[in-house]
Amino acid sequence: MAPLNPYTYIQCPCSDSASLGRPTDLTSPTSADGDEDNTFDPRAPRANFSLYPLEYLLYCEDCHQIRCPRCIAEEIATYYCPSCLFEVPSSNLKSEGNRCTRSCFQCPICIGPLSVTSIETPPPSSTLLSPDHAATPHSTYSLICSYCNWSSTEIGIQFDKPNGIHAQLAKLRNGGASRLTAKERKERRKELSHRGGEAAVAAAAAVAANESSGGQDVDLETQFANLKLFCNSQLADPSAADNGFSSLGDLGFSSPSSLSRIMNLYTGGKLHDPRAKSKLGAMREALAADEGLLESNLNESSLITRLHQSDFLDTASSTQICSQPPNLGEPHLHGASRFNSSLRPVPYLLRTKRSKRCPVCRHIISKPEAKVQTTRFRIRLVAGSYIPSISIRRLNLPGPNGPAAPAILGDLLDPLKPVHFLLTFKNPIFESLKVTLGAPATTPGRFPSKVTVLCPQFDIDANTDVWDEALKDNDRESSSRSRRRAGTESQFQVEVGKIWERGRNWVSIVVEVVPASLKLEAGQDVLKEDEDVLEIPMFVRIEWEVENGGDDATSGPGRDKDQKEKRELAYWCVLGLGRIKQG
Amino acid sequence: MSRRPPRGEYIETDTGNKVARKATLVGTQNIMLGGKTVIQPEVMIRGDLIRSIQSSSSSSSSATPNNTAVAIGRYCFLSRASCLRPPGRLYKGAFTYMPLRIGDHVFVGPSSVIQAASIGNHVHIGARVVVGEFAIIKDYVRVLDETVIPPNMVIPSFSIVAGQPARVIGEVPEGGHEAFELRELYKTVGNNPPPAAA
Ligand SMILES: [Zn+2]
Ligand SMILES: [Zn+2]
Ligand SMILES: [Zn+2]
Ligand SMILES: [Zn+2]
Repeated sequence: MAPLNPYTYIQCPCSDSASLGRPTDLTSPTSADGDEDNTFDPRAPRANFSLYPLEYLLYCEDCHQIRCPRCIAEEIATYYCPSCLFEVPSSNLKSEGNRCTRSCFQCPICIGPLSVTSIETPPPSSTLLSPDHAATPHSTYSLICSYCNWSSTEIGIQFDKPNGIHAQLAKLRNGGASRLTAKERKERRKELSHRGGEAAVAAAAAVAANESSGGQDVDLETQFANLKLFCNSQLADPSAADNGFSSLGDLGFSSPSSLSRIMNLYTGGKLHDPRAKSKLGAMREALAADEGLLESNLNESSLITRLHQSDFLDTASSTQICSQPPNLGEPHLHGASRFNSSLRPVPYLLRTKRSKRCPVCRHIISKPEAKVQTTRFRIRLVAGSYIPSISIRRLNLPGPNGPAAPAILGDLLDPLKPVHFLLTFKNPIFESLKVTLGAPATTPGRFPSKVTVLCPQFDIDANTDVWDEALKDNDRESSSRSRRRAGTESQFQVEVGKIWERGRNWVSIVVEVVPASLKLEAGQDVLKEDEDVLEIPMFVRIEWEVENGGDDATSGPGRDKDQKEKRELAYWCVLGLGRIKQG
Repeated sequence: MSRRPPRGEYIETDTGNKVARKATLVGTQNIMLGGKTVIQPEVMIRGDLIRSIQSSSSSSSSATPNNTAVAIGRYCFLSRASCLRPPGRLYKGAFTYMPLRIGDHVFVGPSSVIQAASIGNHVHIGARVVVGEFAIIKDYVRVLDETVIPPNMVIPSFSIVAGQPARVIGEVPEGGHEAFELRELYKTVGNNPPPAAA
């Protein structure tokens, strides 16, 4: 089992209903009797969502309260590509989507970064190439993964230029064929209609013939364009055909008005026909490929044989398929293969810089500078500069049988043997703090461990100026840290009501814990995950005084400078001390 | 961390660098240390892998070619058996190494291999990490143990990365910036380290 480093998680007040108790929850009764009715249970399923390490918490100076990632409101300040670090204006976002449109791609196989590499063209063999080709040495580029060596040539994709890969890739279909442009599509249509004559049936036959020969299959864009064209023509000429649906009137799928309504969703109103002709009649359905009819290819036998012949590892995982950006240049999704060999390079998803607001007073409590390359913050009110940090250290006191073995963090705790932990509270603010601790006598849960906070009330001196810290650097021998340390640890005695050690802006106190035995009685369920972790809930209340108006210049002209204002803050936290030895 | 090394294990320089006698620094004249940097035993820095092709812009100043192979800022900590190696590649048909630049407050965990092009300020690299050639790690980045960062990968600021190959698995929270400071860690090593902090 992995060793456990001691940790402190703090509960955000936004989960107030949980911290004020769950009186109706009988599944995990808290064992505190009497004074502590509403002990916070760190094992309650809800607790997972309200406990955070100190670093993750922010602090609102106006509400004087802790704020967590769950309750703050975020606002995106900047979008940028995590690979080329270029900022993307939010206007581009609407048109280009949320991916980098430069040359930043991830490997579809292993998500490693792809880099543009020039391909050394092999010496052209004269038998295959025409003389004019051989005369011009043409260098092409491919995307290569520097981690797994995947290359875009594996899906038949090469590029003419080393830059603007995104735009080039958008025009390329797997295998290297270029995606049809709108103009080409038009020409192809014309060609098709010439070849197949005016009759729709003939056109369909032509397409069917093409498909069976493996030639031009209709991609998504072409199908949509064909269908749109057909519908437009039907709207323009609604009397062309009447196939019996007119009785349904405007409600039918084939009525022009419902079609134009649907099309409005996609095209933004350009298709909307001023309802003049809408009552005239129903439209007919598309009958041929050039009208947007796509026949499903239900014969998947070739795909199935391919699956039979290939390895499991040749097939793409659902994560890989999901990370593929939509590709309109490809054939219809029906019957699309799920092989690795069809995956395309994945353009990087953009990342954001975000500022954060207090959910209650809407003041900004964190605001990064907008520029991508800078790491500075305009506003950064982190909880760590307002509430004391708590660090945990195991304390090994000499027993009656001589000195104890040195404590190693991550050691398992022996059941039913008292063990001492040193909690060090460090005061980050420039006022002295009065700290009051409360902890239930036994930890909640199936295996109650006994907890005694030896000194539940103490003061911590103010965090003096940063210059003191700097001076201490040069003069570390006489630092205040070691001044009070009269001897080694073994000479200290654990005394109730006394602090263990005190420094410039910190105080250490001792907590005695008797870990529970994890022996299961008959009929008890097996140990749940992490049920052997000894976690103690602790209620921390801090009080301090501030100069009235000192940090609040707008509090009015009649304020009294000498008058001090009392502040207090209280919250639950959880101390994870270690794992209890089993068996 | 409070293991007390035998006397004289480190050489302390005028600028406050603490270099273990058992560290291997090859081509020391090409290694720049900003000061207050700790180099633990068995660390290897390949200062001998210098650029063999000078960039055309600096060719005019033929008197002092820039031969820096590895540049390290202030308050860096190179843990035991880590290795810094300048990245190399083909440039205009010839193979050349390029300098490896490391900012301030960069922690490199034990047995990690660094071949990045640049590492910013306040970066924590865990144990047994491989940073591939020409990778760029920006500021305030945490790389978890046993991560493999592929060559050429760019890791933006405030990323937490892990995995093989590396992927961004999280964001460094606002309150986590101070944890990258290495001043305190610097004080705990050397020939006469003070007793471990409480
Ligand atoms: Zn919250
Ligand atoms: Zn990009
Ligand atoms: Zn790859
Ligand atoms: Zn607020």
